[in-house]
Amino acid sequence: MRSTFMGLEASKRGLFAQQSALYTTGHNISNANTEGYTRQRVNMTPTLGYPGIGLDSPKTAGFIGTGVEVTAVQRIRDDFTDKQYRQETNKLGYWQAKSDTITQMEDILNEPSDYGLAQTLDQFWNSLQDLNVNPEDGGARAVVIQRGIAVADSFNYMYNSLSKVKENTAKEIGVLLKDANSILEQIASLNGQIQAIEPNGYMPNDLYDARDSLLDQLSTYYPIETTKVPSGGNALAIAEGATTVSLKLNDGTTVKLVDGNEYVQLRNSGESATDGQTPAGMVTGLHIVKVNSNGTETFLSNDWSSTRKTVNDINNFSTLGKFKGLVDSYGYSTDGSGDANTEKGQLPDMINKLNLMAQSFATEFNKLHKDGTDLTGTSGEVFFVQNGTTDETGITAGNIYVAQNLIDDPNLIAASDSDPNPGNPEPGNGKQALKLANMKFSGLSELEDISVQTYFEGLIGQLGVDGQQAERLAYNAQTLQQAVEERRDSVSSVSLDEEMTNMITFQQAYNANARMITVIDETLDKIINGMGRVGL
Amino acid sequence: MRVTQSMLSGNLLRNLSNNYSKLGKLQEQINTGKKVTRPSDDPVVAMKGISYRTELNNVEQFSRNIGEAYNWLDTTDDTYDKIGSALQRANELMVQASNDTSTTDDRMAINSELQQLREHIQNLANTKIGDRYIFSGTKTTTAPYQEGVGYDTNMSDPSFQKTIEIEVFNGINLQINSTPIAMFKEIDQMFEQISTDISSGKAGSELSAHITTIDNNMNKLLTERADIGARQNRVELMDSRLQSQEIIATKRMSENEDIDYEEAIVEMTTQESILRAALSVGAQIIQPTLVDFIN
Repeated sequence: MRSTFMGLEASKRGLFAQQSALYTTGHNISNANTEGYTRQRVNMTPTLGYPGIGLDSPKTAGFIGTGVEVTAVQRIRDDFTDKQYRQETNKLGYWQAKSDTITQMEDILNEPSDYGLAQTLDQFWNSLQDLNVNPEDGGARAVVIQRGIAVADSFNYMYNSLSKVKENTAKEIGVLLKDANSILEQIASLNGQIQAIEPNGYMPNDLYDARDSLLDQLSTYYPIETTKVPSGGNALAIAEGATTVSLKLNDGTTVKLVDGNEYVQLRNSGESATDGQTPAGMVTGLHIVKVNSNGTETFLSNDWSSTRKTVNDINNFSTLGKFKGLVDSYGYSTDGSGDANTEKGQLPDMINKLNLMAQSFATEFNKLHKDGTDLTGTSGEVFFVQNGTTDETGITAGNIYVAQNLIDDPNLIAASDSDPNPGNPEPGNGKQALKLANMKFSGLSELEDISVQTYFEGLIGQLGVDGQQAERLAYNAQTLQQAVEERRDSVSSVSLDEEMTNMITFQQAYNANARMITVIDETLDKIINGMGRVGL
Repeated sequence: MRVTQSMLSGNLLRNLSNNYSKLGKLQEQINTGKKVTRPSDDPVVAMKGISYRTELNNVEQFSRNIGEAYNWLDTTDDTYDKIGSALQRANELMVQASNDTSTTDDRMAINSELQQLREHIQNLANTKIGDRYIFSGTKTTTAPYQEGVGYDTNMSDPSFQKTIEIEVFNGINLQINSTPIAMFKEIDQMFEQISTDISSGKAGSELSAHITTIDNNMNKLLTERADIGARQNRVELMDSRLQSQEIIATKRMSENEDIDYEEAIVEMTTQESILRAALSVGAQIIQPTLVDFIN
């Protein structure tokens, strides 16, 4: 026999379930604009019918429903789009970092303009042409010196500014690693909380959201791989469990970073600052350490199985993520050895090329200058030197300058091609000045037989092409990322219209349940107060 | 596909910011008048821009050099013209002196005038442009004719025979000086001989031999002048060539990197109206939700 009050119980369950749904709708609406929030849904299932099945179960006609129960509050999210989103974020991070560096380099090189190195060089050549026309003129000589200084200044400025950008990039790499390491710590802590809640049969949706936001952020830094480890105990089947996070390398090896509530920290293996994260020399690779509670660090192998230090060669990193983008700009060792001549990267390459250009320009110019004779008929000396010395070897873009004795006495400029023996001065002879001016067209052997000017044009062209590529790929990655984000939002984001509709649905269902209770109340009233009163 | 409010507003914001960035780019182009402001805008234009600038710069430098060439050649020509006139006068005087009707007094008077002409030519030999003696080869700070020494010491210095060349076009050098110091010396010696002969009272027939010497020197001078004239012609040709080169180089540079204003402004107007449309549509779609219609 069914119970007298069974209907009341069923409707009470209905009231509770609809109320939960209504509250969840409220939660969704409250979080409509929360970054990383995923809309939640109340999963309702009918409770088991009456009577229960068993040998001694009463024999009744039919299997009567007993109401509804809330099995879980679930967030609506698609793992697959998350994966896609993170892949695109990787690419975006890489190309954006590269594009940013190249933009800074372009600002420094300042071409095409009326103020860049090309223009300074042009003016220098012009001053030599003027010197050829007026070799005995002190004014023309002073102008050559000043224009020479301007060329040296341009080289110095570019060198110093590029070095500064390089320095800042190193700091940025350090900050990035610190940030990423802190994210790892946070993910581990969230994993711990999730592992504590799930065995009780709950779904910590908002913790999942927080963890996914952190994973999104982490994937802008480097490519990651995640796997889920279900919690034990009474965990629901749809519970997500703890997330194991690994860094994915180019050859498929993975470096475990977070496992449950345990985490490790990434450290720079090459020469670094005391924090172990900001590179001080070129980047050679990364390794992981376990930071103990007292602050000491223990090395770990990639899968945490041994305490052996395992350095992951930087060349094994895919061109994904902001970290690799910054490293490619900052400079890394092509064989992981850290040898000075294995350095490669957008900034060191540019600095090296400028150095080569300054060196070969100075050497050739000095050679021609020494072939000439000055106003007193004696042979010319070095024109460009290392700043503050009289040394012409080891000139770089950073230290090239005009020799001090020439600055003090411009008459020492060897504009003439007269015979230095016996030293007959020819003040009106400007033939050597013309040769110097025409060096602008002559190919230099150190620069593979192309002239300084053409070499510089090549540098600018290459930088432009690289910049254009980085910008285009960053734009593409952004477009793709937006498309995926759109798809993800389409699944997960809160639609106010939908929530309003749900609100009406749940409200009405709640009302209907209440009405049901009234009906049952009335039927019971009939039995209790209206029956057995025949004739009254 | 399920579309939510946050997606719409996100998209709107993104599109608006895209519009602004395009608008910004166009404004920058219009403000600077250049198609590219950094190499990555268009690497080819940037690279070409550098070499076109250099080319234009070259042409401008050569034009400046040409100015100096004109200066030297014109001054040289003018000096030769004056020396020519002096020799012409000397010729007339010698014809007069060699005439047997001339008395000794007449000849002495003629001699003193001839000596004035000699000094005049010596002064002309020391012609300067600015601080530079133009007939001193590459020894431009030393006068070719030195008081008391004459031309002799300088004759022995090969620097006085050296040419001064300037570049007037890529790889084309032009000699702007001439080195007539030997001719000057001959003219000077000639005047000295005439003076000696007149002072020693030689007969008219003997003096008339000097007329031939004067003629010879005249011819030498004319040859020098012809050379200068030929070079002047060359400079003029080069000058007009450089002028057209300058126009071509400027035009090429401008075509390479300058914007087409009409095009840029039309594009900007288009972009502005797109922005306006995006803004007004945005205002419409963001506003209402179901919330506005239920009570």
